[in-house]
Amino acid sequence: MKKKLIALMTAAMLVMGMAGCAAPAAGGTAASGTPSAAAEQKEEAAAEEPAAEETAQQQETEGEKILRTAASFAYPSLDVHKEYYGWYTSIYGISEALFKLNENSAAEPCLAEDAVPDGTTWTVTLKDGVGFSNGTPLTAEMVVRNLERAAEVNERFAFLADFGYETPDEKTVVITTPEVYPTLKNDLASPELGMIDLDNTEDYDNDPICTGPFVLKSFIPEGDVEVSRNENYWGGSVKLDGAIFYYMQEDDPKLMAMQSGEIDCYNSVSSAALEIYQSDPDTYNVVQIPGARLQFYILNENTLDDAVREAINLTVDKDKIAEYLSGTVSPAVGPFSTEAAYGQVTVPAVDTKKAVELLEADGYVKGSDGIYEKDGEKLSISICYYAARSLDTLAVLIQEQLRDIGIDSTLRVEEDPDSTYIANADFDLALYCMIADKSGDPLYFIDSTLADGSYYNVAGFEDAHCQELIEQLRYEVDTDKRAQLANEIVQIAIDDNAFGYVGLFNNTTVLRPGVSGFAEYVPFDFYGVDAETDMPAK
Amino acid sequence: MKRSAPLLLRRAVKRAAELIIILIILSFLVFALMYAAPGDPAEKRLTSQGIVVTKEILQAERERLGLLRPFFVRYGEWLGSIARGDFGVSFKDDMPVAGKLAAGLKNTLILSSLSLLISLAAALPLGIVSAVRQDGPADHLIRVVSFVGNSLPNFLISVLLMYFFCIRLKLLPVIASGNLRGLLLPALSLAIPLASRFVRQIRSELIGELQEEYVTGLRARGVRERYVIWKNVLYNSLGHIVTMAALAVGTLMGGSVVIETVFRWPGIGKLVMDSINARDYPVIMGFVLIMGTIYMGVNLLADVIAGILDPRILNTQK
Amino acid sequence: MKIKRSVSDQRKKQRYRIIAASAAAVILIAVALLAPMLSPNDPYRTNSAIIRHAPCAAYPFGTDNLGRCVLSRVLMGARTTIAVTFFLVAVSFVIGTAIGLLCGYYGGRIDDLLMRVADIMLAFPQMVIAIAVAGILGGGIAGAMTALGITMWTGFARLSRSHARTLRGMPYIQAALLSGKSGPYIMLHHILPNVLEPLLTNALTQIGTTMIGISGLSFLGLGIVPPQAEWGSMISESRAYIQIAPWAVLFPALATILTILVFNYLGDAVMEYRMAERHT
Repeated sequence: MKKKLIALMTAAMLVMGMAGCAAPAAGGTAASGTPSAAAEQKEEAAAEEPAAEETAQQQETEGEKILRTAASFAYPSLDVHKEYYGWYTSIYGISEALFKLNENSAAEPCLAEDAVPDGTTWTVTLKDGVGFSNGTPLTAEMVVRNLERAAEVNERFAFLADFGYETPDEKTVVITTPEVYPTLKNDLASPELGMIDLDNTEDYDNDPICTGPFVLKSFIPEGDVEVSRNENYWGGSVKLDGAIFYYMQEDDPKLMAMQSGEIDCYNSVSSAALEIYQSDPDTYNVVQIPGARLQFYILNENTLDDAVREAINLTVDKDKIAEYLSGTVSPAVGPFSTEAAYGQVTVPAVDTKKAVELLEADGYVKGSDGIYEKDGEKLSISICYYAARSLDTLAVLIQEQLRDIGIDSTLRVEEDPDSTYIANADFDLALYCMIADKSGDPLYFIDSTLADGSYYNVAGFEDAHCQELIEQLRYEVDTDKRAQLANEIVQIAIDDNAFGYVGLFNNTTVLRPGVSGFAEYVPFDFYGVDAETDMPAK
Repeated sequence: MKRSAPLLLRRAVKRAAELIIILIILSFLVFALMYAAPGDPAEKRLTSQGIVVTKEILQAERERLGLLRPFFVRYGEWLGSIARGDFGVSFKDDMPVAGKLAAGLKNTLILSSLSLLISLAAALPLGIVSAVRQDGPADHLIRVVSFVGNSLPNFLISVLLMYFFCIRLKLLPVIASGNLRGLLLPALSLAIPLASRFVRQIRSELIGELQEEYVTGLRARGVRERYVIWKNVLYNSLGHIVTMAALAVGTLMGGSVVIETVFRWPGIGKLVMDSINARDYPVIMGFVLIMGTIYMGVNLLADVIAGILDPRILNTQK
Repeated sequence: MKIKRSVSDQRKKQRYRIIAASAAAVILIAVALLAPMLSPNDPYRTNSAIIRHAPCAAYPFGTDNLGRCVLSRVLMGARTTIAVTFFLVAVSFVIGTAIGLLCGYYGGRIDDLLMRVADIMLAFPQMVIAIAVAGILGGGIAGAMTALGITMWTGFARLSRSHARTLRGMPYIQAALLSGKSGPYIMLHHILPNVLEPLLTNALTQIGTTMIGISGLSFLGLGIVPPQAEWGSMISESRAYIQIAPWAVLFPALATILTILVFNYLGDAVMEYRMAERHT
């Protein structure tokens, strides 16, 4: 044992020793180690000093307001219309859509003043004076061409090609849809429908000309991005001089960078980091709001009878689970935020006693090992999950909670849920996480999980009345009525114990004191800096 | 020397031909494996931000990516375009695979060569000392340390280094994108096990060489020890050391996948991990080809160099 | 006289080293086998009251992100890691040896083909293949074992093949052949016993490498997946909160290092012993 200890210690010494001698050697070959020009600049400034001093110094000398933050994703292209790239050009403050979703998940004016529906037509009016960063005004005709391009290059927006477009004047677009299309205004707020100057943009991937408060300064594909103020911004003055988005995929580096002062703010803070930030409120300002990303489970109606499903829903303790995920998740009631008009549903409180009664009334008898059985068969369910978005934690916790009342379970983890347990419906309880509200409207989620034959309605949920209501929702234009319909539909699914809505991920943002306007109050993931984002001057 | 040159050339040609055959077989195996494995790049791509799509959109994307065609058609087409030097485009974002691989490879080469350099710089003197002072206290210490170093998994080294240097001591910056101090920890994580292995190999190689008769002869003739070691023993072992370093390229390639993932170094290893997650098959295939070519190419080169430095190797291998 | 004694002294020392290393290995295996009894707590029991609790009397290694006892998980992890490693080495041993013996004994086209395959496998860095295969197969214990096994059998195959080829020409094999013994009988009774020793030594040296491989894959999320306790995945899971709960990373890390050291030491000691044997 002693020998091993000595061995370990010498190993540690070797590590230290090597670090010591390698450092100066490495310094000699400085130029070869830089994959990018942007990094090179930084490195020159940083030649000798430790990191924290380096950045502070840089700011003092420049005296500018440059917000440094971290991005969890980095894409190879800035082409707003393609894939999800528009999410990031929106976060960077480069691109803007016609509308913008606000704190209450409602679409508010951005480039467009308003959109008014009338039967199968929508009349969109652009704001006065809106234009691109190169000074070119945004015209109705350009808007149409942008929508057509998005339909062409992005499968998810291919439906826009089915619409008819007319431009009676420079500021008006009339969109004709084949059927009544109530959610167009929300759809037009999608970041993928940001406006690009299609006449003057030469390189869509690396330098799109857009309307946002910031313009691109440097872009490393799948790496760091730097933006600076758009001096021609149509919306007036922009408070920041610029911003840097460091690509940091994992939680730990973000936390360390925040602690060492290398970044000023970032969102989607992990629970471990949250604990640290909350213990030091003078240094860190934490803003937490429920987001749109939903953790839920599907209960298989084909394999579990009503009593078991109800018992499971009465047992799974969302508050307890949220407690484990310490602050990253808020317990959900329905699939949508309770702030939204369409998030008004009720769920019975946890009641394990009633759950046990239900099981016993259904003929289950507790075995010697504390697990219920019926006709000599143990009550054991299979829980399927994939190891992302804390679903692994959920699986473990749900297993634990079910075992406590006498339901045994086996965990099955899959790399790809969609092509395995969702496709085959070979589960009793399937965990899943998706964005339930992508544009401030309930239809998308309801249509994906509750409608007959929809992608995630694979486990036998079927209700004629519910389907009828969904068909109504598809064509209902009035926002209040839509909310009402949605609440009714979701309530049916809840009462049927077809699903369990566990948690809504919080959008947690940490900011240095004085930093504000980093979309910290908006429940959507695709906003970041805008004209109002500010930080204390150095 | 004169006679060995054509022999070397012949062997090089033969090895190059073998390389191509091996790569074709290997690429077929990987392709078949990917065909059989679960996971759908179209779906990964469309739902990457957590928004789900309809079956129709998914099917259209599969169609567009060519995923619905028969297996042999797809493999044949891939092979055909590779023969024309075209690696295709990524399933993840339609960017050219060749560009992605080149960018990643450049960063990986920077990291790997620095690691190799550190390893050799540390291992050569330690190995020599250990061999020359065999069974002395220095030898014992070096042997223990290199034994431990050789047993450490590099992911563990990386986690521990990060913990001690970045968190405990706060010596190094977290944002390492492309600057040298950021490169230091990943390079060390790769270099520590490698250097340890080198020390062990160099030591046993030199000890073997020191027992050769010519060394006894030189010593008997009163040639100075230092001269014996530097001029004869080391020179004669050079071939083996080159081979050893070349074989290490394989270790470095495997290790860089782990280390780049831990440190988020934008090299080819991180690229392949991301591609595996996205089921981005064209990139994975390209990775396998590039890695195979480099590994075998380096070994071929090492053989040639070692053969020139030490013709004895040629004879023993033939 | 003096030299002779030093040689025998050295042998003695080598033997002691093997005994000491074996003892340590046996202890580790015993710990792994007895893990459920040694664990102070249920390694899978979550507890929201003691999330990321520092080491204390009830939880000597502290608790992790879900309030699970780290010591209990390290002990159970020993089971997973050691069991998977032994199983994998054993399977590679059997398959590799069988292929090697058949190829070496019969030779011919099948020999050519299989050795070609082995060459291809050896032509590639093991970890690169393992990561690619495990990644494509989508993780899980089976995937990780396949990924590592795909290259590991080649070592055993080449070793047993070369011995089988040399032994084939030996007079006593020829004698056995003439006395009407079948090929499989000769392979099992005459060749295998002679190859067993080098093969076992090879297996021993593979243990450390395999552990590094398994925990490395698990660390990348391509091997054993949570909640199953395994050191690599524990480290990877806990890495996110290493700042507030370093114990959840450091103890599984120490366990990994210790185990690999013990098995590598044993492998080295046996190798050295056999080398010395050949020289004398």
